[in-house]
Amino acid sequence: MFTKRKNKLFNLFCIISIAAAFALVPLTGTAQEVDSAFDPSEMSDMTGFDPNKSIEVEGPTIKLGYLQIMSGPAAGNGELFLPVVRWVAHDINKRGGIMVDGEKKKIEIFIGDTQGKPAATKKATERLCLEKEVDVLWGTSGSHLAKVIADVAEEYKVPFMNCLSLSDELMNEKNFNRYTFRTLSNTTQWNMAMAYYFSNRPETKFSILCQDYLYGHSMANAFKKYLEKYKPEAEIVSEDYHKLWLKDFAPYLTKVMAANPEILYTADWLPDGDNLIKQARRMGLNMPIANIYITNPESLKSVGVEGTKNMIFCYSWMSGDTPQTKAQQKLMKEWHEQWKNWESPYDTLLYIWPDFVLGQTIGDTYWLFDVIERAGTLDAEKIIEVWEGDVYKSIQGIRTMRADDHQAVFDMYVGEATYPTKDVYDDVPYSKGYAGVHEVNTIPQKYCTPTVPEGLKGRVD
Amino acid sequence: MDPMTFICISQLVHGLAYGMLLFLIAAGLSMIFGMMDILNLAHAYIFMLAAYIGYTLAGLTNFWIALLLAPIAVAVIGMLIERYMLRKIHRFGHIPELVLTIGIGLILVEFVKWGWGTQSLMLQAPEVLSGLISIGPFRYPIYRVFIIGFTIAVMIFMLLLFYKTRFGTIVRAATADSDMVNALGINVLIIYTLFFGFGTWLAGLAGVVVAPFLSVFPGLADQVGFGAFVVVVLGGLGSMSGAFLAAILIGLLNSFGIQFFPTIAPLLTFGLMAIVLTIKPTGLLGERQ
Repeated sequence: MFTKRKNKLFNLFCIISIAAAFALVPLTGTAQEVDSAFDPSEMSDMTGFDPNKSIEVEGPTIKLGYLQIMSGPAAGNGELFLPVVRWVAHDINKRGGIMVDGEKKKIEIFIGDTQGKPAATKKATERLCLEKEVDVLWGTSGSHLAKVIADVAEEYKVPFMNCLSLSDELMNEKNFNRYTFRTLSNTTQWNMAMAYYFSNRPETKFSILCQDYLYGHSMANAFKKYLEKYKPEAEIVSEDYHKLWLKDFAPYLTKVMAANPEILYTADWLPDGDNLIKQARRMGLNMPIANIYITNPESLKSVGVEGTKNMIFCYSWMSGDTPQTKAQQKLMKEWHEQWKNWESPYDTLLYIWPDFVLGQTIGDTYWLFDVIERAGTLDAEKIIEVWEGDVYKSIQGIRTMRADDHQAVFDMYVGEATYPTKDVYDDVPYSKGYAGVHEVNTIPQKYCTPTVPEGLKGRVD
Repeated sequence: MDPMTFICISQLVHGLAYGMLLFLIAAGLSMIFGMMDILNLAHAYIFMLAAYIGYTLAGLTNFWIALLLAPIAVAVIGMLIERYMLRKIHRFGHIPELVLTIGIGLILVEFVKWGWGTQSLMLQAPEVLSGLISIGPFRYPIYRVFIIGFTIAVMIFMLLLFYKTRFGTIVRAATADSDMVNALGINVLIIYTLFFGFGTWLAGLAGVVVAPFLSVFPGLADQVGFGAFVVVVLGGLGSMSGAFLAAILIGLLNSFGIQFFPTIAPLLTFGLMAIVLTIKPTGLLGERQ
């Protein structure tokens, strides 16, 4: 009897042990672990945050090298993301910093001007690595420049978070290096998401109008490829590529109108994207325009409510007027409250909400520091070890850093602008004077995740 | 009407509108070089500055006031540049002029970035110029029709000014023989300053007119400057009628090129320029200097 009882106890013990083992797996890190050090409910009081003011800290610091175009006609790129890194640094510093190498360290930001030129980018990156001895690099607009930074990062063994350049080739077998991590969706992810979204819509006739260089062609090719996969009945009725910084879109738009598509797809960035939408609507071309970068509220306002209605946006971060998570809503509200006090150049509509690329880069920057916090050291090898395969609960959704190719994968978001939008921020409507996204469609990761490049498969055991 | 005829007529009108726009931007540049022999590479940057000033004035008042005042503002700036900078180095030839005007251009870029920031700004066209106009089966943007009409009006104004007024007579005489005009008791230096101001006033007009058509951003000068320079070179340095002809040709080549030869459309303009300059190095209507 005692033996039977003992057996029962033993069986019970086994069952409990197995159950406990399964329950504890997420905490032990042997399976998909979701980590997040940034809890929005613990966000510091951001009152008084001034994006124009550089972050001043004393004592031991974590040095972030911010690499962007800070001068010349495209200096807007550099200006655009300074509030992002300063916001995150301000928040973390007010919380006392991050525990690394046995002590709390605050974040210090050093700026490197890429000037939009490879030679200047190399020089600026080397200066940050050698003179300023930065611990991590942050950047940058332009895949050709990101490649330069990645090379220097590898040479000096400094982790580089690429959160702004999306060319697939940057992380392929040829260009991959252990020190570079891309948190932004690449060309393929973007177009898989867009094509999947259209597979659930009735339209079948598409026109493509993109910029005539590698990026424009890559985007269009990926869109065609995945449209064929997800919506085989779709037809490309016209396809054109225009030179950069085009002045007059009318001849192209006439071709589009003659082809009579139901959707116009463009991957144009600014100023072409702005000018395209302005001139298209002015010519009476009112069909939905599927795009990525025509998200500047100033531009949207210039074509008004009717002009922006039925524009289709796709991004790895999208709150629209219906934030997907509490963290996102908290960030949106807090940022917007502070924005009301900001001075030029950050007092424009461009900065009114931390949406699209602003939201994405804020989330990515928190991820970077979260990884450092969990690594507990500024040692590059340890940071790499933590980040490879990391599954992170970001402000919007779960993000996974693939260990093999250092490409982040996640759900994507697509939405069509409608109007009026729902006023979710008390008395402040999300968009004034233009249509905003009300219904955000989540494209599950499995429909928008490309495979790891062959030569990198199994790189990390 | 069959679809191809419809498309061809549409592209013809697009080409004309774009050509007019190019001419409006290039007119001041061509005129200053033709009559004063000054290669003003700051022209496109003054054009950009006018777009920014126009943006601010339109926000404070309305588009029409902006169209009136912004060109005057840049004309004053132009006169100051001529009086206190260009005049001193003109006698040393074109190279110092090029360096100086490029420098002025760079300063203006930094100035607008400091004053207005680096982001794209949008100047709204007035309500009366928004929407489409219908002519038979055609529906065409009113603002493009406005650009065509406005450029024609500016051309007529220039012709009247230079051929029907005393000021025009003096300017033409001064450019032909400044010593003689000086001997007649007319202060040629003031005429030059006023004339340079007129050229920059034209750039100002173009800046405000283009602002609702394109985004206003610090790269605006680079976006249009090269095109304006091509118009001036192709038309013949200093020839207003040549600039007009070149602008229209480029406009038409652009729109029909995009329609029928899209892959090589951007090259057509340069192909035309290469052919013309090979056959006639002085440009379409330029005269041997």
